[in-house]
This record gives sequence, structure tokens and C-alpha cells, in this order.
Amino acid sequence: MATRAFDYQILAQTGRTFRLERLPLSSFVAPLALLALWQLACLTGLFPPQVLVPPSGVAKALADMTASGELQRHVGDSLQRLLIGFVIGALAGMAFGATIALSQLAEAAFSPTFLTLWQVPVIAFVPMMVMFLGIDEPFKVAVVAIASFFPMALATFDGIRGVPRNWFEVAKIYRLRLFQLIRRILLPATVPAILTGLRISLTRAWVVLVAAELLAADSGIGQMMEMGRQLFQIDVVLAGVIVSGLIGFLLDRGARWIESRASRWRTA
Amino acid sequence: MNGWLARFPVRAAIGLVVPALLILWWHWRTSAQIATFAPPAAVGRALAELLHSGDLLRDTLSTLKRAFVGLAIGAPLGVAAGVAMGIWRPVDRTLGPLLHALRQVPMIGWLPLMGLWFGVGEGTEVIVIGMSAFFPSMLNSHAGVAQVERRYLDVGSILRFNTAQRIRFILLPAAMPLVLTGITQALAFSWIATIGTELLTGAGSGLGVAMSQAQVQQRLDVMLVVIAVTAALGFLINQIFRRLRQSLLRWQPSVQ
Repeated sequence: MATRAFDYQILAQTGRTFRLERLPLSSFVAPLALLALWQLACLTGLFPPQVLVPPSGVAKALADMTASGELQRHVGDSLQRLLIGFVIGALAGMAFGATIALSQLAEAAFSPTFLTLWQVPVIAFVPMMVMFLGIDEPFKVAVVAIASFFPMALATFDGIRGVPRNWFEVAKIYRLRLFQLIRRILLPATVPAILTGLRISLTRAWVVLVAAELLAADSGIGQMMEMGRQLFQIDVVLAGVIVSGLIGFLLDRGARWIESRASRWRTA
Repeated sequence: MNGWLARFPVRAAIGLVVPALLILWWHWRTSAQIATFAPPAAVGRALAELLHSGDLLRDTLSTLKRAFVGLAIGAPLGVAAGVAMGIWRPVDRTLGPLLHALRQVPMIGWLPLMGLWFGVGEGTEVIVIGMSAFFPSMLNSHAGVAQVERRYLDVGSILRFNTAQRIRFILLPAAMPLVLTGITQALAFSWIATIGTELLTGAGSGLGVAMSQAQVQQRLDVMLVVIAVTAALGFLINQIFRRLRQSLLRWQPSVQ
């Protein structure tokens, strides 16, 4: 696995945080001013409501959809797909990454195929998967699983290969069996890398899921936006944009929080 | 240990076992049943057919064109925004929160909204591709300028540089590695966004359009050819830009 293709590094690097708690109050001035301007532009009739709905209109759409339970249904469906697919994909990725990291034979056998498949943007697999799986639940779960699998496998591989050689030698001296080796040495040593991999997998899986739902779904946040577009309900589309952004943000922040908590022992 | 595994021919041979088994299994499955499962040989025929009719070339060219138009719009704007935010605090304060908020939305998620505003077509696709090129360029350029060493700037103030000189002689060269990293990411992001938007809008020509057509027509052979081309091109573009980046940065000791 000498050559690393681009996207894993990319996703690892783009993870610069935007810290809410570090924000001075003045940072809220600009967005609030923009919101006010947006509201004003709509009230004065500069933009007709078919083109732009004021923030209050978007808030109303969100409130209405929450009251009718429609929003909860879409969000719930999306999150459920995300969770199931992510668990499957991440576990498979971890197992695969660990296998090719621990066995040179497995690495020689699988890594060329893996690296070739990795060059394909996950979204390019979507039409093929529709062909085989149809557009129902299995398809969306599979998309999420594939999107989570690749970054997870690489993070696990890198994490295990990053464990210093002499730690393995210690394990040998103590005659640790494979299970003990995994539990006592590999797991603690690779936790940071694996958590980073989990975060990257999760955020990327969300992006791909929204795209897959836009393409083919009967529910979910992506489908909500696509229906809104077809029915010219700009408030619904804007609400979808906000909700999908919020979910992506929260997933990233949550995963970062877990990451920082779990690797606290390293500095202590 | 495993000295024989380190030898290239052995490794290559072992690496080919899995694909060979996959193809064998695939061949066996197709001879068994299932109409949509095109046999491996059909993929070769499909490739020849697509090359002969010129469809593949046309789709590839329009995808490349779209990706590069989007990149050419999004990446310079992103670099400019990132540099401006890195240099002037007020710009960072006003633009920053807004841009970071917009960044949270999955890029493809903008497609329905842009479709409503600008119609489903070329313009919308280029906007979404441009946006996916914009954000990585902006983030990295911002970080690059923000991380410039204090002492370089001190030299500049001793030499009484004005703002333009400061940007030209200190900030830009010092931020260059990260700016180029941002553009590398923008390249990859815009490539993925191009395929995604083409899949979703499905108008005109392009590799994504060809994929969705192959899906409708149940042509697995065509689909696999298009996927392979997409992957190969993405890989190639990235490699070319990597080389370019290295040669642009050869004056930097840390980058070989």
C-alpha cells in the first residue's frame, strides 16, 4: 500500500474545525445582518416568493413539517440508513484493514484490488447498485456501507502499521496470543487512528447518502429536497439544505468530541 | 520474514489472484442465469463499441470540460477568499461564519436549490462543481496564510513593505504549499461533484450521464467501462497535478 490515492488524505486534512466557543460575539453580526437583509429583500418584493422565500418562511416550513411529523420521518429515515450502513461498512472496513495490515500475504493478495476500486468515486457506484439492488432500502444502506468501508479500512491499516515494531516484540516476549495481542496492544495503540477513520467515514457517508436519496428514494432528507424542487416549494428545499447541513455539522462535531475524549490519555 | 513476498513478480502474481477469481466467479454466474449480469467478455466488446462510435470520447471530453470550468471558477475564488480572510481580520469575521455555515451542507445537496434558481442544466452543474472546488481552496489558503511565520512578517515590516508587497513577497510564497494542497483537493472534489451532478441532472453528455443511461438500459457492460474510465481519469488527473505541485515547490526543502 505504498501509493496512497488522494481522497483519504484530503478528508483527513480538510478536518479543520470551526470552533463555536472561540467565536467572538461580533462573528454573529454578519450572518444576522445577512438574515435581516434576506428578510428585507423578500418583504420589499425584490425577490418574488417563487424565487426566494424569506427566513421566516423557511422557519415556518420547518415548523409546519415538524408539526405534521414529516420532517421527523425524513430525518429519521435518513439517520437510520446512515446508522445501519455505517455500522456494516465500518466494521467490515476495520476487519479488512486489520487483516491486510497484519498479514503480508493478505496485503499482497488484496491491496491491488482494493487500491484499484478505491480510485472510483463512491457516487459512481450508485447507478450500478441501483441496477442490482433496485432503489429500496438495501441500496441506500449499501451505498452508505461502501462509502464508510474505504476510509475505515485505510485508517485501520495505517493505524496498525504505525504501531512501533518493538511493541510487537514485547508481545512476542510475553508470548501473547493473537487475541491478547489485539486486546492489549493493537486496540489501545490504534484507537486514535481508528476514531479519525470513523469520523471521516461518517461524514463522507452522510454526503453520499444525501446524494443517493436525491437520486432515488421515497423518503429521507435528500428525497425531501428533490420533491420540493419538483413541486417548486422553495421553502422546503431551503429547509432541507439547512437540515442536511446541520446534521452534517453535528455528526462531525460529535465524532470530533469522541475523538478528543478518547485520545486524552495520550497527553496525560 | 517472508523475503520471497518482497519480490515484485511474486507480489504481482499474488495480487492478480483475487481479480482472477472474481472474474471467474463472474463468468460462472453469467453462464448460470440473470440477464443484467453481462459476462466479462461483453465489457471488452462494449469498450470497443463505445470507442468506435465515439460516444466514450464525447462523454469524457464533456465531463472533463465541465470539471475544469467549475474548477477554474471555484478554485481561484476560493484562494482569493482564503487569502483575504487570512490577511484581513474584518473579512474573516464577516465572511468566515457564513462560509463555514454554507460548507456544512453536502455539496450535492445544493443541486435541488440551484436547479430551482437556475434551471436544470449546464449552469447549475457548473455552479455546484465550482462550489465544491471553492471550499477546499478557501480552507487551505486561509490556513496557509494564517500560519505564516511571524518572523517573515517582521522582516517585511523592517523593510517597510506595503500590503501588496507583503502579499506578493511574503504571504503567497509562504502559503504556497497549502494553497496548492487546497487546489489538489479542489481537483478531486470537483471531479467527484462533476460525476455526481451529471448523474443527477442527466442532461446532455458526460460520463455520469452515460452511467445513468446504462442503468436505465440495464447495460452492465457499458456501465463498467464508464466506471473504469472515471476511475482512471481521476487517478491520472491527480497524478499529473501531484507532479506539477512537486515541481512548483521544488525550492521548498520540506517537499521533494
